[in-house]
Amino acid sequence: MNNKALGLVFFPAFDWAITPSHPEREERLLYTRDQIVEEGLLDLPNIREYRPQLAKIQDVQRVHIGVPNIASLITDAHLVSAGGAITAAEAVMRREVSNAFALVRPPGHHAMRVVHGTRGFCTINMEAIMVEYLRCHYGLNRIAIVDTDVHHGDGTQDIFYHDPDTLFISFHQDGRTLYPGTGAITELGSPSALCSTINIPLPPGTTDDGLHYVLDKLVLPMLDDFQPDIIINSAGQDNHYSDPLANMAITAQGYARLAEKLNADIAVLEGGYSIEDALPYVNTGIILAMAGLDYSRVVEPDIARCPRQSESNTRYIAQLVTQWQDIWSQRDQLRRAAIAKAGDFWQRSRSIYYDDSGIQERQREAVRICPHCQGYHTIATEAEGRSFGVKTAFAAVIPRNSCSTCRSQACDAIHTAKKEGRYDHYLLQDKEQDTFEQF
Amino acid sequence: MLLGIDVGGTFTDAVVIQDGKVLASAKTPTMHGELLHSIIAVIDKVLGSINRAAIRRVALSTTIVTNALIEGKIDQVALLLLPGPGLNLTGMTPGQPHFLSGCVDHRGREQAAPVKKEVIAFCRELSGTQVAAVVGKFAVRNPAQEQQVAGWVQEYLKPAHITSGAELSGSLNYFRRINSAYYNAAVWRIFTNFAAAIETAIGERGIAAPVYILKADGGTLPLAAAKARPVETIFTGPAASVLGIMALANPEEPAVSLDIGGTSTDIALWQNGVPLLAPGGASVNGYPTAVRSFWLCSVGIGGDSYVRRQDAHLLVGPMRRGPAMASGGTEPTVTDALRVAGLIDYGDETLARQAMVSIADPNQTPEDAAWETLRVATNTICQAIRTMLSEQAARPVYRVEDIVHGEAFTPELVIGVGGAAMGLAPLVAEQLSLPWQVPSGHMVANAIGAASARPTTEITLRADSAEGYYTVPELGIQRTVDKRRFSLADAWTAAETHLAQRAAAGGIDEALPVSERVYEEEFNVIRGFNTIGKIMTCKLQIKPGVLMPVQAGRQDNEQ
Repeated sequence: MNNKALGLVFFPAFDWAITPSHPEREERLLYTRDQIVEEGLLDLPNIREYRPQLAKIQDVQRVHIGVPNIASLITDAHLVSAGGAITAAEAVMRREVSNAFALVRPPGHHAMRVVHGTRGFCTINMEAIMVEYLRCHYGLNRIAIVDTDVHHGDGTQDIFYHDPDTLFISFHQDGRTLYPGTGAITELGSPSALCSTINIPLPPGTTDDGLHYVLDKLVLPMLDDFQPDIIINSAGQDNHYSDPLANMAITAQGYARLAEKLNADIAVLEGGYSIEDALPYVNTGIILAMAGLDYSRVVEPDIARCPRQSESNTRYIAQLVTQWQDIWSQRDQLRRAAIAKAGDFWQRSRSIYYDDSGIQERQREAVRICPHCQGYHTIATEAEGRSFGVKTAFAAVIPRNSCSTCRSQACDAIHTAKKEGRYDHYLLQDKEQDTFEQF
Repeated sequence: MLLGIDVGGTFTDAVVIQDGKVLASAKTPTMHGELLHSIIAVIDKVLGSINRAAIRRVALSTTIVTNALIEGKIDQVALLLLPGPGLNLTGMTPGQPHFLSGCVDHRGREQAAPVKKEVIAFCRELSGTQVAAVVGKFAVRNPAQEQQVAGWVQEYLKPAHITSGAELSGSLNYFRRINSAYYNAAVWRIFTNFAAAIETAIGERGIAAPVYILKADGGTLPLAAAKARPVETIFTGPAASVLGIMALANPEEPAVSLDIGGTSTDIALWQNGVPLLAPGGASVNGYPTAVRSFWLCSVGIGGDSYVRRQDAHLLVGPMRRGPAMASGGTEPTVTDALRVAGLIDYGDETLARQAMVSIADPNQTPEDAAWETLRVATNTICQAIRTMLSEQAARPVYRVEDIVHGEAFTPELVIGVGGAAMGLAPLVAEQLSLPWQVPSGHMVANAIGAASARPTTEITLRADSAEGYYTVPELGIQRTVDKRRFSLADAWTAAETHLAQRAAAGGIDEALPVSERVYEEEFNVIRGFNTIGKIMTCKLQIKPGVLMPVQAGRQDNEQ
């Protein structure tokens, strides 16, 4: 093993909770704090601790469209958590460290582009905010995000669904058995970005063996093919065998080995709710692995509880990997076919539920299939919640490196909608000029 | 009457203080390898005709432990560790660690029992080793395994001393506790011998007063109590000066203090009348330890710093090539520059001018060269201060409130003590645009600090009402509590009782009234959706401070 300089942004937000008995509560990282402080990890010469900065509203609006505005939907804790991810990323970009881990809360990977409230414990998406910050301030383009949380990273998927420059890979417990229910192999991205969204739904009971099979045969080769400028790990820890909200069988060793192989530039904590039995060990393992230190002695005291993988799961995972290898090898043809089939616009309608806020949203999206750029897109959203009745908005998004046609059509779409007057709010997110406007 | 002695690298200083006034002071060169002789010599010199029977307290700041570490005169330690799951410590600790089975987890629950056979086998292997250290991960949450293993080591190795990690520090940080415990055991014998010799020598001089020793956190400890924790007496020299500043200047506002000696300047930051402590503890031989210590930054600029020109660049320090030319030395120094610039009035001005001429550029006057020297010296000190301020601003915090509303540390005053303070401190203050103060008596601030330092101690009480007990690691105790009723207020009450016990046991109960709460934490323990208990941490200390403010008189025996 070779020591690597690791930047660590540790922010347990000891004064923030969704509610006092919610899994996302003050003491979620208390035992993790105990373990990493007791280990003396913050005193190791190759680990440098950073204090998180506060993200700005502009950093958040580069990603999110809050209705009526994002500031009214978040707390200071969200800005610290997003700022923590940015601090970690900047430490890497400035070459102060070779990689960094933002061990921060609240989490964010269920937060989608449009935000009406909180879903899956998430309001804004930390990794997405960090990614767009890096593109804006450091000129990065190709970015890979590997989501290793047990739940499908549906928010991150949504934000980058039309972006061919962001490879989003999520493996998770199969959506047919777990929140949020999405993340099927067929969700591949919109036509211009087809196969830049990769979902690998794993059966309940998957162990380190199954996970590392997927990693070695699928995830790592995909990353090699994509050649990203940087790799980001959405480091959820709820695949652990002791997690109370899921049914997988990954150990601290499994997670540490994953961190070592993935060799992410930046990791950002997501979920993980076995706060006493898993998080202290999983986080210690990930920190040691990212710092290039020996993690072989990080073993949970109750490791005997961890089940073995069933034969049928092993077979199922092998088949799933073969199926994905086929899709991946044909990705260029598939993308061309999807673009040809879509015509001028690709559209979809969805229902999105905000479990923490009790909000039901209906969304219609249209993406222009553009030969010159990613294509602008529009979102019509209508949300119904106990607290506010009905809220509606119409938004247009101008992508980075947009062509002049997409730019003017996006502006026209907003003005036309505003003239028709069917919505409460009209919003324009201009990623080219880094502005956010209300009309 | 208080007698204070500070053994420094170059000089040993002593003062006698009566009713908050310096009655006498003395200075002798420190004889290395003969510390005891230096101490006796300076006592004889400072006491002169003073009535020895009137002395009611002797406090000593000594380099005995620091020197033993630097010179490698430390004992081999039987280092027995209960590491549990986590970092592989092989090659990371001083000395050779021996790993034992048995561990407790972060809540202090035993996850595996220690194995007696393993301990016996190591004791056989280490047979003849005179000192041992036993350190368990999370022993601060449950010291039982550490105590059990220490018992077996006592039985089978029979060493002269065993250090238990959790008794040295009640704070989380296994790595630091290991290093603390190792060095504590390693210097135990040399310190114990020294303490015995000092007690004898002081007794022979007709002084019946109790003897205290200074610690790195600026507190004192009765010599007898210090024998169990000698590692805490490292780095007491800088701590003595800091205490001196407290006695002489007592800054209420946020301040920067400079102790400007012959070869270096020690910088400390002050808040609420006390210097900030080093986060986690002091570093010993490059190993981070849990020894409570002031946060000091040392830069290689002092009165005797060697000044020379190299490739047209004027360089100051960090090395010393003897005293200032103004005082009969052979090489130019900062003191010579101060003399020529007219900022001090001691030393031979003609010799000082010669020093400045020797380093001046062809088109510089000696005054120009002196001011350039002082600018370089001042810049080095100011740069170190700025680095400390930005480190302080970057300290991680773990609550949203502290990020959003936390206030940055901004000094409002510069305080200087030590030989070259009168010359350099005002220049540093000018560059930082701050007012300055150089209290009279600053030349012997170190000995004044030693004389007037108050005892300190602390305890950590951690209660886990869901598990139904609390632990005070420094006292090695665990007590059961009422799972349903035990509250944070109860925890504080218990902490105060235990602090009083610890103070009484250490012979320092006189200082109890100045105890203060330094840390509090309270979290719910939830199962399903029900709160089944609370985890509370209370840290209570007798804080560093001085017995009384001191005014320096004009009476100096040495001059």
